[in-house]
Amino acid sequence: MCETCGCGDNSELTIHDRKQTHSHDHDHLHGLDHEHSHTHSHGPESILFAHSHNHEHSPGKVISLNLDILSDNNRLAGINRRSFEERKILCLNLVSSPGSGKTSILEKTIKALIPTNKIYVIEGDQQTLLDADRIEKSGAPAIQINTGSGCHLDARMVDSAFKKLDVENNSILFIENVGNLVCPAMFDLGEFKRVVVISVTEGEDKPLKYPYMFQSSDLCIINKSDLLPYVDFSTEKAMEYARSLNPELEFILMSARTGEGMDDWYAWLKNQSGTGVE
Amino acid sequence: MHEFSLAVEVISLAQREAERNGAGTIREISIEVGDLSGVEADAFESALELLVKESILENSVIAIVRIPGRGFCSGCNLEFEMKFRMAACPVCKCFPSKISGGEEFRVVSLEVD
Repeated sequence: MCETCGCGDNSELTIHDRKQTHSHDHDHLHGLDHEHSHTHSHGPESILFAHSHNHEHSPGKVISLNLDILSDNNRLAGINRRSFEERKILCLNLVSSPGSGKTSILEKTIKALIPTNKIYVIEGDQQTLLDADRIEKSGAPAIQINTGSGCHLDARMVDSAFKKLDVENNSILFIENVGNLVCPAMFDLGEFKRVVVISVTEGEDKPLKYPYMFQSSDLCIINKSDLLPYVDFSTEKAMEYARSLNPELEFILMSARTGEGMDDWYAWLKNQSGTGVE
Repeated sequence: MHEFSLAVEVISLAQREAERNGAGTIREISIEVGDLSGVEADAFESALELLVKESILENSVIAIVRIPGRGFCSGCNLEFEMKFRMAACPVCKCFPSKISGGEEFRVVSLEVD
């Protein structure tokens, strides 16, 4: 077995670590009742992804695909997005770590805007109906998706929840994603914009630790500003780190508890083009 | 954790493409995982190893090709290996640099019978 990349044993899994520089010949057994040997070499040029196998047995038919593994999700997200746009539904995907205050922000927002707007919420959590119950008490129809062991919402889940919610045209649809700053970054749901929420109790280095989420978001809400006097959190530093990843990112400093910054948030919602937020 | 969902996607993609091409068995599937793709290659590989049982990929060779991250510094007009997203340009030390490679996450090909 090759010590560098681990290939060449009899397992069904062959790992080619392209970062290593080595070349060798090896034989390995495929699980299809035949043996063959192939030659390959990896060099610094492998960074260009050149890779060749010289098979000595009759090769099977090779189907070249080059298919993005998230292509199914991206296609469905595109369908969701078109549907939201056609029906003038402002769809926002709220992402954050657990406990940053997404649900509290939504409760306040719904109470403030429901007299003049139609608002709907898709709630994502691993378990329980607690958040959907809180949202409904605030006055907006909500549907809860329990992902079970899943760590994120995907475009298919949103499509199915959206159909069940019976959303009217010219409305706002908030999607509260599963509290997780890692996985939801990869899954486009078809939202118009992505809003990442962090709170001042989490530490200003969050953007650097979870860069994918901050790179893929349009607005960053820094919540729990009322706690700033009690924690070592530099708003400027957090913003600087986030901007270094995503220069286009907008910010709102907010306290859903005291109401600070909520007017900036409502103004931001109203400014979203093509939507009828009042 | 999302590596499990992604492994499920790979299996259904392989099944679909095999059917579309009238193939009964898949000898080998080749998958590229970029180091900056947001997919943890080792976790993805473990997830796939667990999930292929009783699927069309059960007896297939799974070739996972890792693609190193590449950054491009426009100030220095230099492409360099980028080990993580915030890596600075090795010459002028500025960041962020444009990511020019390593975000791939795709099925490259299937070898079928």
